[in-house]
Order: sequence, then structure tokens, then C-alpha cells
Amino acid sequence: SLAADAFGTMATMATLFAGGRIFTRRSSMGARATFRGFNDAKRAQLERARPVRGRAGSRKHLFATAAVKEPETSTAETPTLSWRAAIDFKKLKDDPAAAQTNADNRAAQCDVAKVCELYDAFQSLNRECDEIREKRNLNAKSMKGKLEPETRAALIAEGKELKEKLAAIEGTLGALEFQLQSEGQKVPNDTHPETPLGGEELAVLRKEVGKKRDFSFEAASHVDVGERLGMFDFETGGKVCGSRFVYLTGAGAMLELALINWAMAKVVSKGFRPMVVPDLVRQNTMEKCGFQPRAENTQVYNIENSDLCLAGTAEILLGGVYMDEVLAQNELPLKMAAFSHCFRTEAGAAGAATRGLYRLHQFSKVEMFVVSTPEQSDAIHDELIAIEEEMYSELGFHFKVLDMASEDLGAPAYRKFDIEAWMPALGRYGEISSASNCTDYQARRLNIKYRPDPVDGKKQPLQHCHTLNATACAVPRMIITILENFQNEDGSVTVPEPLRAFMGGVETLTPEIVRQNADASE
Amino acid sequence: PAAASLVRGGRGRAFVAAPRARAVKEPETASASSNASSAPATSSSESTSSPPLAWRAAIDFKKIRDNAEATQTNANNRAASVDVSAVVAAYEAYQTLKGTVDELRERRNVNAKSMKGKMDKEKRDALIEEGKALKDELAGLEQELGALETTMQIEGQKIPNDTHPDVPIGGEEVAALRREVGAKRDFSFAVANHVDVGERLGMFDFETGGKVCGSRFVYLTGAGAMLELALINWAMQKVVAKGFKPMVVPDLVRQSTMEKCGFQPRAENTQVYSIQDSELCLAGTAEILLGGVYMDEALEEKQLPIKMAAFSHCFRTEAGAAGAATRGMYRLHQFSKVEMFVVSTPEQSDAIHDELIAIEEEMYDELGFHFKVLDMSSEDLGAPAYRKFDIEAWMPALERYGEISSASNCTDYQARRLNIKYRPNPVDGKKQPLTHCHTLNATACAVPRMIITILENFQEEDGSVRVPEPLQPFMGGLKVLTPEDVAAKK
Repeated sequence: SLAADAFGTMATMATLFAGGRIFTRRSSMGARATFRGFNDAKRAQLERARPVRGRAGSRKHLFATAAVKEPETSTAETPTLSWRAAIDFKKLKDDPAAAQTNADNRAAQCDVAKVCELYDAFQSLNRECDEIREKRNLNAKSMKGKLEPETRAALIAEGKELKEKLAAIEGTLGALEFQLQSEGQKVPNDTHPETPLGGEELAVLRKEVGKKRDFSFEAASHVDVGERLGMFDFETGGKVCGSRFVYLTGAGAMLELALINWAMAKVVSKGFRPMVVPDLVRQNTMEKCGFQPRAENTQVYNIENSDLCLAGTAEILLGGVYMDEVLAQNELPLKMAAFSHCFRTEAGAAGAATRGLYRLHQFSKVEMFVVSTPEQSDAIHDELIAIEEEMYSELGFHFKVLDMASEDLGAPAYRKFDIEAWMPALGRYGEISSASNCTDYQARRLNIKYRPDPVDGKKQPLQHCHTLNATACAVPRMIITILENFQNEDGSVTVPEPLRAFMGGVETLTPEIVRQNADASE
Repeated sequence: PAAASLVRGGRGRAFVAAPRARAVKEPETASASSNASSAPATSSSESTSSPPLAWRAAIDFKKIRDNAEATQTNANNRAASVDVSAVVAAYEAYQTLKGTVDELRERRNVNAKSMKGKMDKEKRDALIEEGKALKDELAGLEQELGALETTMQIEGQKIPNDTHPDVPIGGEEVAALRREVGAKRDFSFAVANHVDVGERLGMFDFETGGKVCGSRFVYLTGAGAMLELALINWAMQKVVAKGFKPMVVPDLVRQSTMEKCGFQPRAENTQVYSIQDSELCLAGTAEILLGGVYMDEALEEKQLPIKMAAFSHCFRTEAGAAGAATRGMYRLHQFSKVEMFVVSTPEQSDAIHDELIAIEEEMYDELGFHFKVLDMSSEDLGAPAYRKFDIEAWMPALERYGEISSASNCTDYQARRLNIKYRPNPVDGKKQPLTHCHTLNATACAVPRMIITILENFQEEDGSVRVPEPLQPFMGGLKVLTPEDVAAKK
């Protein structure tokens, strides 16, 4: 029965703790622990702060921070920036045509020329601002010590004039900067040279594993298979919550837990630090990861009277871990994996298949996230997709690994590999995972930096990290794949071998087993 | 007081039911009359009073009227703000008016019938006028009737459940000790609090929680993440072995379902996070999602009791707990929980309440906790509970007994709102009328409170923590969590 010892072999679980990496802080975290003793926020602030005077463009350092709301210098009409992306405007200016072409290839709505224009205007006004500040400093200095009343009065008047001028320019500067950020943030990430340019039909097949099963009977849909086994209750989901909500029951509940446990065990064995993260997150953090909580047709549920939203993926919560932090090169790469509940409005998917597990408002997921150096990210992207391929092969899935086309990347990804598993009753390959290399796109927004190792003993300037994310296990899509592929003619389902230990040793879900359990509880 | 408990004080505060009379989606409820037959279209458009009710509780107004004093005393004992006499007055006015309305309807029927067939124009005109006058009068009275019904519902829903005769009357200090298990451990060293113990073991990250989400949010990391999963798995396996149907339920729920369970999503200082531009809210407990399973259903006696257990993420604003211990796992905005829920016959519920608390006692005893089982006093029951048993585990560093679970018998309070009924077995071959079920709920495992209890009680002087024996298989056989520096030395 499903009530049997739920975890099977100790060996399976013992791999979780290989090298004692789980129950203690990882050695890399240990290094970080010493940093912590210093007070992270203070340290980060010291890293960022630079003397304003005498350095051209020095204000940029202050703008690179995830600043909180601006003080009252902004005018009533100017909306305030609550955070800034450290966009490489200079690079855009170096080749705006290439940047625009890239954006067009990715079907991103942005105007690079406008960004460059705004940048130039901002820079020039900024310089003016600096000049006035310098004058004001001199003016202030010159008022020290004894002076003729006439001279003093003149200086005071000058000072007042300068102050007013400064306030006005700062107001305009704030407005300009807001526009610069708004427009600049629309520019998507660069694109990997091998990424096919165009729409989804151009995605390149990287790898194909397994093949379609030859059914000797008609494959039933996952909904029918699962309902017959008492695994889900869509009716109750609809009644209590609305469409696209489901209750997982009996074997369905146990299968969800089995998948989560198996996936977490897997990623831990691959060196990922396991985490359970909140499902609520601040809007700002979401924006920094490249999501748009406040857009029309947003995918995001916002909380009333709060700056919190429900995260659509743990990627956001994981991206936030090293937000505003400075890491040492020897700490990288940092690999984390989190289990969370994901929430999506699915606005814009309104007619599509409302029944079934394919598209839900809430689902469970184990997500991998890596912070790396720029040099490491390509290899890590390969590593992530290899982990996914290994996992799904182990379960016996037939799937394709696709190198996604430029129009399907979204804003943050430099390159994206999707895995689509064959779903025989749906008659299609359906996405079960996605692995993206976001290079420094998110890091520039989340302000995640590292200090590269010294070169010839010389201390290196801070650089933005690269971030990557990959789905280990999106539970509903996995359940669909299992039910549709491993169903038997009598309505039973063969449990993939790696999951059996996490299902109390059960090898087959049968309608009889379901009935037995139902009888037992009565 | 500021340290309102997980379920106790919080429920007493924010969970007194008061329905939100708001714009309605279902057409039938637009009618002012409680009998669903005639629904004149004019009544809703001419309504000047409060908007129609989204749902109605099947309150036994007659019983309240017949026992008004006892009902008010009970409400006072439970510190519920409600004026029973106002409910009774509205009910009696409603009954009287309904009589008049029924009479009018009958006259209108007669009038309508009398217009069939041939007749003089004069006569017909007279009848038409009569009919019109009746219609207008009826519309006005039906509106009044609707307003009365709304008042009855709004005020009536504030009336808390009855109270078990053994429940101590008064405040939390008079809770009765039902049982005590284990004893306080004798520490040979200064006991560290769960935050220090856990941080040294790399189990949680409050700093990141605060940075990314805000106060009272935490990231569970490394052994902390694995311990959460272990607790959930162990608890689910436990309740399944006890015959509970395992479920994984949504964390979002319709506001109306929440209200029917006795929670107040829109009250000031509400415990509930609501979603913008939506009728959805984040559930503070899976009790709500489980209560909804049999909502609006009629069951057979032989199906009962139905036992369900769900794993979910719970969300609470903890408004009103603002000064209280912001650091640590004791009070969080989000936490994981395995919850038991039972639908039963009225005759079964007392025994099932005992069964639920016995399961909890067995579970925590197995883990080696020292705890007290309390029969909660009347002021701590919240609105729905007839009787409530809380388990408080000894937390040595916090130097207090802290609530780790709660088991409530809500008798028919929730069932009358969720509209859960059953048909009792025939008596002498005669079919029985539908009766409301009883519902009960009990915490199997509220993860953060369990983690506190484990870390504080099973810590060793060197900072390591012994994993309770039942959890070891779910932690890969691991018996001890050891800090890195200690492991390195070894």
C-alpha cells in the first residue's frame, strides 16, 4: 500500500549527504560566512561608494546600486526609480545598429537609438550638474574665514543662485534618468551566435532521447488515466478556486511528493545547495529578474496593499539571494536548487486547453540556479541541460532537446534550451523544462558582482556575474508525461523505477490499489 | 496580547465571521426572497440597501430565538461581539413580513388567474390595475424582506458556535491541562535559541528572506530544506497510515470559501493576503481548501467519516503581531503545513476529536517532544470551534511552551456555511431528511514550529543537533546534524 515506509533505500537518500555537503554550510558558504561577519550591507556600500568630486562620471557608481526611492529632489510629475539596471550604455552606443538588429531578431519592442540619445543627454546634463556642484563647493569654501560684508553677501547670493540652478537640473536629470532606465531596460540580452534567428519553428534539435512508444491500444489522456486512479480532482479545484486549479489526491499527491523528493535528491547529488524558498517576493526583485508584474496581461498575481507578488518561478527568489552582493572568484560557481510553489495568471492563454494539468495557475517546481563568472557560464549551461537530460532519461521519457529560436528567448536569456517530452494522448511534444543562460542581464539588474582573482598581484575591478536557471522538475508536466507514456491497457500506470523508492516501493498504480486504499480509510 | 498564537488568539481576533455583502455573481441570489421561486427583476435594480449576499449560512434562527439569552451568554463567554437580540428582532420582523408577502403573492396569483378568459374591458382594466398595485406593493415588501435577510445573515454570522460543556469559561489562563507528555530536559550547558543553532548549521537565511521578501520571511537552506521535506514526508506518511486520504491542495482560494470556513479576508487587521483584481486570497491553512471539497454536497451516512490530509503553503499577514519576536521561525508570513480535516456525522464528532488529538500526541511523542495538551478556554476558541485542543511544546531557549498544533471540533458551524449535508440511514425503512455534517480540523505538522522544537530540544553543546529517530529515514539515515567546524575537527 502507499502507506508503506515512504522512503525506501537509505542508500538513495544517503547520496544526498555525500561529502557532508548538506548538513553543514558548504565550504564556499563558509568563506562567505566570514564576509557576513563584516556586515554585508556595509561592505557592499563601501565597495560602491566613490568620492564624487574630481572623477568624471563618478556618479555612475551610485546609480549602479539597487537604490530605494529617491529623496524629495524629484518633481511631483517625475515618477521615481526604485532601482536601476547597470546597463552598459557605452556598449550600446558603440554599435547601436547591432543592438537594434538583435532586439528585432528577438521581437523585442525597443528603440536603441532613443536609448543612446537619452544617454547622451543624460551624460551631458550630468556633467553640467557636476560642474555646478564644484562651483558650489568652491563657493562654500570661499565663505570660510573673515570677509567683508559686501563680499559675503555677494557670495551668499551666488550660492543661492547655484543652489536653485542645481535643484532644477537635478530635477531634469532625475526625469531623464527615469526615461533612460525605462527605455534601456527594454533592450533584451545579447544572443548566442548559434541561436537560430526567427520564430519557434526554427528551433534547432540538439538531441533526441528515446522514441515514441508503440501503443497496442489507444492511449488515454492523462486526465482520464489520472481520474480513474483517483489522482486528481479538477471539479473541486474549479469549485473552490476557479479554473486551472487542481487538487492532487491519493496517488496523485504521493506522486507529486515523490517527484519533488526525487528531484531534490538528484540536484543535491549534483552539488546544488537545496533550499525551500518563499513564494512571495517583492515586485522590485521580480522586475530585476526580467519579469513584469505590473504590465497589462501580466503573468503575475499581485497582493493588495502590498509590494509583494506571487513568484511564477523560484528563479526569482534564487536570483535575489546574491542581490547587491560582492562575491570572491573562488566562491563561483554558486549552485542552488529550490522547491517552491509557482503561480501564474496565464492571462492570454484563455482558450487553450482549460482541462488537465498542462497549464495551471499554481504548480510545484524544483528549480536550479547558478551564479558564475562570465567564463564559466557556457560550460555551466551545458552542465544544466545535461542534468535535465539525465533525469528525464532515467525516468524513461522520450524527449527532444531544442536550442530555442531568437523570438522565443524572452528578454533575459542569451541562449535557451528547452526539453519537450512526447505526450502521446495530447499528440504533441510538450515543454517539461527550460534552461537559460542569462549572462549578465539579470546580474546587472540584481547587482550581483564578483572580484576576479588578482592579475600579477594587482587587484581587479568588480565585474558582474553571470546567472543561469534551469527547471529540474515541473510537477504537473512530469505527471502528464508519466501518465500518458506509462499507462497500461487496464488503466494502471507503471511507476518509473527511480520514483519507486519515493512511493513506498509501489511499482504500479492500479485501480485496485486505489480502491483498496479507499476501502482502508473507510 | 502581542504574542497572539498561531491559531488561538489570531482566530479569536480576526476570524469572527462577518460576511461581506457584496455584488453577487449568481443570478438566483439577486432575488430578495429566501424562497427561490419568484425573483422579480425589479427588486435588484431598485435595491437601495446593501448589495445582495454572495452566500448564506444556514443559521438555525429559530433555535437562536428560542434560546436568545443562552446564545448571548455563550457569545459573551467567547468574547464575540454580537448582539443576539438584534438577530432575533430581525428574524421576527422577517417572519412577520414573510407572512404578509406570502399573502400578497397568493392574492396576486388569484388576480392573475382571474384574468384568464373573456370579460368586459372595464372589468379587465380594474383587474389589471389591481394586479399592478399588488405587484408594486410586493416589490417594495420583497426589497424589505431582502434587507432583513441580509441583516439576519450579517449579524447572525457573528454568532459563534456553541461551546462544549467541559470547555473552561474565560481567558487563556484558565485553559485546562488534559495531558502532559515527557519532561523538560536538564541541560548541562547554556541552551542556544533555534536561530543561532540553525544558522550555525547553515539551515536558514533570514537575511536573504528580509532582503528579497521582507520581515518574517525565511529561506530554508541545506539541512533546513531537507528537514522541512523530511517533516512533510513523515507527517504525510503518518496520516496516510491513519487512514487519511493524502492531498496536495492549491494555496489560493476564493474569498467566499474562506468566509464560509469562518475567516474574515476583508476585515481590518485581517490575517489574509488578498490578490489584486481577483476574488482569490492566499489561504492561511489548508483547512479552508479541505472544507471546500464537500461544499454544496450531499453525502450518504455510510461515506462518513471522510478523512483528508493536505500539504500546503500557508500565508498569514500577522497584522497585529507587529512587535512580537520578528526574528526566528515562530511567526512567519509563509510556512508549510500538513493538516487533517474530517467530515463526520454529528454523533461521530466527539470521538473523532479525541482520535485527532491522539494522533497528534502520538506523533510528537514519537519525536521525543515534551508537551502539554490543553483544553482551550472559551475566549480562545475563535468563532467556529465547539471545542479546541492545543498542543504546546516546550521550547527551552524561548523559555516557553509554544503552540505546535491545534485540533478543533467545529460541529456544524462550518457545514452550515459550506452547505455540507448528509442523508442519515433510513429509520424503519423511512428516508431521513438531509442533516448538516460536522467538520473537524487538526494540525499534523506545522513545519517551522516543529523545527524550533527540534533545534532547541535536541541540540548538543558543540552545536550539533540529534535528528529525532522517526525522521532519520527521511533524512537519508542521518542521525546528527553537525556544524562544519565541528565536523572538520572530527
